[in-house]
Amino acid sequence: MTAPALELEGVTKSFGRIEIIRGVDLSIAEGERHAIIGPNGAGKSTLFNLITGRFALTSGRIRLHGTDLRGKAPYQINRMGLSRSFQITNIFAKMTVFENIRCSLLWPQGYGYSFWNLVHNQPSLTEGAEQILEQINLTARRDTMAGLLSYAEQRALEIGITIAGGADVIMLDEPTAGMSHSETDYIVELIRKVTEGRTLVVVEHDMGVVFGLADRISVLVYGEIIASDVPEAVRRSPQVQEAYLGTALEAEH
Amino acid sequence: MTDDITTDPSRPSERMRAGSMVIGKLPWIVAGLFLVILPVIFPSNSAITIMNQMSITMVFALAYNMLLGQGGMLSFGHAVYMGVGGFACVHLMNVAGFFDYLPLPFLPLFGGLGGMALAIVVGSFSTRRAGTIFAMISLGIGELVAACSVIIVVFFGGEEGVSADRTVGMPFFGIEFLQQREVYYLIAFWLMLSAILMYLFSRTPMGRMANAVRDNPERAEFLGYSSRWVRFHSFVVSGFFAGVAGGLFAINYEILTEENLNLTTSGTILLVTFLGGVGHFFGPVIGTVVFTLVQTVLSLETELWGFYAGLLFLATVMFFPGGIAGLIMMHAPAIRLGRASRLILPYLRCLAPAFIGILGVAALIEMVFHVRHASVGDEEMSLYWMTFDSHAVAPWVVAIAVTAVALALTKRSAPALRAAWHDANTPEGGAA
Repeated sequence: MTAPALELEGVTKSFGRIEIIRGVDLSIAEGERHAIIGPNGAGKSTLFNLITGRFALTSGRIRLHGTDLRGKAPYQINRMGLSRSFQITNIFAKMTVFENIRCSLLWPQGYGYSFWNLVHNQPSLTEGAEQILEQINLTARRDTMAGLLSYAEQRALEIGITIAGGADVIMLDEPTAGMSHSETDYIVELIRKVTEGRTLVVVEHDMGVVFGLADRISVLVYGEIIASDVPEAVRRSPQVQEAYLGTALEAEH
Repeated sequence: MTDDITTDPSRPSERMRAGSMVIGKLPWIVAGLFLVILPVIFPSNSAITIMNQMSITMVFALAYNMLLGQGGMLSFGHAVYMGVGGFACVHLMNVAGFFDYLPLPFLPLFGGLGGMALAIVVGSFSTRRAGTIFAMISLGIGELVAACSVIIVVFFGGEEGVSADRTVGMPFFGIEFLQQREVYYLIAFWLMLSAILMYLFSRTPMGRMANAVRDNPERAEFLGYSSRWVRFHSFVVSGFFAGVAGGLFAINYEILTEENLNLTTSGTILLVTFLGGVGHFFGPVIGTVVFTLVQTVLSLETELWGFYAGLLFLATVMFFPGGIAGLIMMHAPAIRLGRASRLILPYLRCLAPAFIGILGVAALIEMVFHVRHASVGDEEMSLYWMTFDSHAVAPWVVAIAVTAVALALTKRSAPALRAAWHDANTPEGGAA
């Protein structure tokens, strides 16, 4: 058996004296769609930022395809095949939609820090970017400034930038935050389509989004994973119902 | 210009270059021809002196905008890279026998290498962060290098600087660069070359990522690029072209002093670049033309030219942060809609009185200045080809009245201009 795509071992994170992540063990197999859910303040985003190298670990170990990520900068982790989106839309607002995607193709296509190629003379860049635009249904908005897109379109572009480089581990941070029902359905469908054959880790607050999407769900409460199983088993777990679903149901009424 | 801004995604040739404001070949050819015939149109020595000064500043301003506009790095000490490049060149000119091997036109290349060498050293630590930290480091380096001019006298020549003679070299195809006009063509050649290379740089993966890092360094990191190295590369390339400008300065003036390194020079280039507009490639070119004209022509007319330059800068920052280039490009949508002509009359109605009002305000400022600063008994002043007594009442009444009426007219015609602007930018049947 090959190494898991992503493996967390005794991961903790403290900010000052406050321990936000209190020992997380998690193993995500290649090609799995994994969701991390939990109530507000459970540490979902912190965990996400630990994996992607935005924050440094307090203790523990994170491995990507068996390689320890300790001390790696975000750009190095990205080059190892992990790509992420952001909870707050994080696109290049002053560039066009097309250029946003093209920028995300530069490193994966091997352009590096080159200043001897002209970007508009590279058919592979142009074609690659147009294929991605096609996939995220933004071809019609190709030459629009990204900052002028609607919210849902910006989220779609964010996902496009995230997947464009061909990373095999895709991490999405609350991809449907702040969206209407129909927009949510649209984005979930999009995520399903573009992450075909890749490992997906998605952090969500909204339960409904992940039940249909994920192969497995981990429930994070107060910095610990209290359950990690297939969606139906998680839904049935009394521990989860007490810690999360109960409160969520109460909140709905 | 408009042709280059609009893109038609259905045409493959357009598709390749769509996605940003791309400058086609035509404007470059026009600019090149313009540079060639300029000395024919303005053959006087003083005009050529101004044009040389402009061309050098343009190279510097374009290099500066690689940082400010394209890389989002605000530098308060960029003069040092131009200065060091220039000093390197004067020293090379003074090396006996150097020109036996290398004709003068190649000298700016070495200025570039000098500026680049310093930029590599400084950039290695200053580009770690953008924003305030980068700005403060640049300020510190600026002070430090300027202070070095009196410390490292061997290189910077102390207070009197270092001078050289550009004509000692071997003739380049029979040209000895004795005349201003010959120097002009040398500078114009380097201006075109540098501008084209800098423009092409902005189209390379590095140049595109410089924009990406400027807008969103964190996102760029998650696309596989280290923000720091992207900034470093832009910084070094900018240092190179600043050094080229320094080399041209050395050839043109044959002397470099502490003035080429100090914060005043660094501040001026920030002003020039911002005035022209940081958001467009050609912005610094316009800024240079306007600023150099203010500096040379206006300074012949009034001692207060710095005051007006300051006002102009303030007005730019407060009212048109896109600079003059931004102001021009604002009209692109109206031109694309074919409705720019609807703006001409409202513009005239508003800007003609505004122009007179501004002249009136300037007249009042000049009169106050004359009353306060002219020597005792000298009560006669001339302004706008009129001579009058600055202590009499009548000129004041006239100046105040004209100014007030002009400004009132401007204010009255402003709503009409605003409406016309809205109309010109709304597509037919659009509700916006």
